[in-house]
Amino acid sequence: MAAGKEIQKGDVLLELEDVHMYFKGVAALSGVSLKIRKGEIHSVIGPNGAGKTVMMNCINGLYRPQQGSVSYKGERVNHLRPYQRAKLGMARTFQKVEVFGGLTVLDNIRLGRHLHYRAGVLSGAFYLGKAKKEEIEHRAFIEEQIIDLLEIEQIRHKPVGMLPYGLQKRVELGRALALEPELLILDEPLAGLNLEEVEDMARFILDINEEKRWRVTCLLVEHDMGVVMDLSDRIFVLNFGNMISDGTPDEVQNNPEVIKAYLGEEDLYATRR
Amino acid sequence: MSTTWLPCGKYHETYTQDHAWWQTTFIRGKMIALFAVLFVGIPLLADDYGLSICNNVGYTVLGALGVQLLIGYCGQITLGHAAFLAVGAYTSTLMILEFPWPQALLDWGLAYPISILVAAVVAGIWSVFFGLPSAKVKGFYLILTTMAAQFITVDFIITQYVSQIGGRGQAFSLPVGTIKVGPWVIDSDLKVYFMMLVLSIFLIAVMVNLLRSRVGRAWVAIRDNDISASVMGINVFGYKLLAFFVAGFIGGIAGAFWISNLAAISPEHFPWSWSLWLVGVILIGGVGSIHGTVFGSIFMVVVIEALQLVIMQFVDTSWGSRLFMDFLFIKEAAFGLVICAFMIFEPNGIAYRWWQAKNYFNLWPFSY
Repeated sequence: MAAGKEIQKGDVLLELEDVHMYFKGVAALSGVSLKIRKGEIHSVIGPNGAGKTVMMNCINGLYRPQQGSVSYKGERVNHLRPYQRAKLGMARTFQKVEVFGGLTVLDNIRLGRHLHYRAGVLSGAFYLGKAKKEEIEHRAFIEEQIIDLLEIEQIRHKPVGMLPYGLQKRVELGRALALEPELLILDEPLAGLNLEEVEDMARFILDINEEKRWRVTCLLVEHDMGVVMDLSDRIFVLNFGNMISDGTPDEVQNNPEVIKAYLGEEDLYATRR
Repeated sequence: MSTTWLPCGKYHETYTQDHAWWQTTFIRGKMIALFAVLFVGIPLLADDYGLSICNNVGYTVLGALGVQLLIGYCGQITLGHAAFLAVGAYTSTLMILEFPWPQALLDWGLAYPISILVAAVVAGIWSVFFGLPSAKVKGFYLILTTMAAQFITVDFIITQYVSQIGGRGQAFSLPVGTIKVGPWVIDSDLKVYFMMLVLSIFLIAVMVNLLRSRVGRAWVAIRDNDISASVMGINVFGYKLLAFFVAGFIGGIAGAFWISNLAAISPEHFPWSWSLWLVGVILIGGVGSIHGTVFGSIFMVVVIEALQLVIMQFVDTSWGSRLFMDFLFIKEAAFGLVICAFMIFEPNGIAYRWWQAKNYFNLWPFSY
C-alpha cells in the first residue's frame, strides 16, 4: 500500500541504526541497531525495563529517538508521525490492550481499516454513493478475511469493553490486521492469556506470517520463551538499553552472555515449561 | 444500527440489510408514526404557546448537537459553544441587513437560506480557530481555552465591535418580511416550527450518518483512545479540527435559525450560561447519544416551563409574585439541582434509561 519500491522476501524491511533514547538522563536505549527482514518473525526479548516497549514506540513513532535513525524500506522515517508511519504499512498492538472500549468489535476492526476508506465528510454525512458502497465492500472484507480468521463471529456486535481480556487481545490483533500491514509490531500479545488462548494466538501469528493472503513480517515482543523460541526466525536480546545478542533461536539460547544477563544460570525453558 | 433485535426466524441476508436504518416493519411503523405526530399532530393540536415550547426544544437540540459531537463523540470538552451560535446568528443577521442582495434573490426568498449557509461556514471556521489549542491541551485545560472562545467572541468582539456596525446600538432588529424562505415569510410560531423541524431532522440525520462512516468512527476513536487512534493511521489533530468545524457549522445553523424566532438579536441572547446549559442538556440526556441530545433538550425545556407554570399559579400571593420576578435565578438554580440529581442517580442520562426500557420490551414478557 505504501509508496516506494517493492521489497522482496529477505530484503531489509526495517532498520534501526544506533538509536539512542533518553528520558531526562535515564538511557532507555543506548545505541540499538536492528535489521528486520521481510517475511520473518523477529522477536525482541529482555528482562522487565530493558527498553523493549520504548524500542517499539520509537519504531512506530510514538517516541522520537534523540539520536540514530529508523528507516523503513530504505527510507528514513524519523520525522514521520505515527499516523504517517501507519500509512507506510506499519501496524501494532499494545502490551496493555488499547482497544476502543465503547465501540463494537466490528467497529474496532473497521477503524483499523480507516486508511483504506475514502469517504469524506460530505459523502459520509449523506451516506450516499461512495460512503455507502465502501461500507459494504469493507464489511465483506472484514467478515471474510479477519473475523473468519480470528474466529470471533459470535461477538462481532458486542462492545469490546465488555469482553474478557483474551478476546480483547484478539480484537486488537484483528484491528491491526485490518490495516493490511507489511510490518506488524506485536507488543506482548500473549501477556495475561491462559494456555489455550496462548496456543490460539501463536497459531494466528504463524497464520498471518505464513499464509499467502497475509505474509506479514512480525516484530514480536514476548516473555514466553517457549513460544518465542518456537515461532521466531531471529531473536534480538535487549538488556538495559543495550543489545546483547541478535541471532537465530539456537545461537541466542547458547550465547553465554544471554544466559548470564537475562536467564541466570538456569535452563532457558524454565520460565514456562 | 446493527444491534437491532430482529423478530424470531428473520435473518439478514446481505450486508446492506444489516447496515439499513429501519430494519423491521415495527421500527418503520414507529418512525412513520413519529413523523406523523411531528408534522401533522403537533401543528394541528398545539396552540402558539405549545409551538413556542417546541421551538425552544428544537433550538436546544440544534445547539446541543454540536456540543454532543465535541464532548460526546470526540471527547473535546467545550464550554463556549454559545459563541458559535452567536457567530452564526450575527453573520446571518448582518448579511440580511447589510448585504446588497439582488432583487431576484430577495423575491425568491433565497437571501435568508443563503445567509444560513454562509453563517454556518463562518461559525465553523471560527470554531476551528478555537479548536487549535486542542493540539496541545486536553481535558480541563481545553475547557479553559474553549471558555476563551465565549469571552473573546461574545463579550469582546460582538458586544464591542460588531454591535456598532450600522450605528443601531446594542440590538439588531430584523424588519418584518426579511426572514423569508422561498415563498414563505417566517412570521408565525407555526412557520418557525416547521423550519425547526426540517433543520433538526436534517442535521440529526447528518450526524447519525457521519457517525456510521469513516469520519465519525475516527472521532469516537480519538475519544476512546487517542494514542491507538494515531497508530491506526488517524490524523488525530486533523480530525479534532474537523470535529470543531462540524460542531461550529451546526452551531452556526442553529444560531442563524434562531433569529427567525427573535424580533431583535443582541449579545444577551448568547451568554456564557447558555454554553453551560447546552453541556447540561447533554449530561442529562446522555453523553455520546443522539437520542440523549433530544431527550435532554425536551427534558430541560419542559422542566423549566413546568416550573414557571407552577409558580404562575401563586403569582397573586406576595411570595408568589416575588418568586415570579426572580424566575431567572430560580431557573438557574433548578438547572443546577437537576444536573446534580442526574450525576448522582443516573450518570448515563435519560438515553440509557430509554435503552433499558427498549431492551425490556424487546424481550417482554420473557425478559430473562
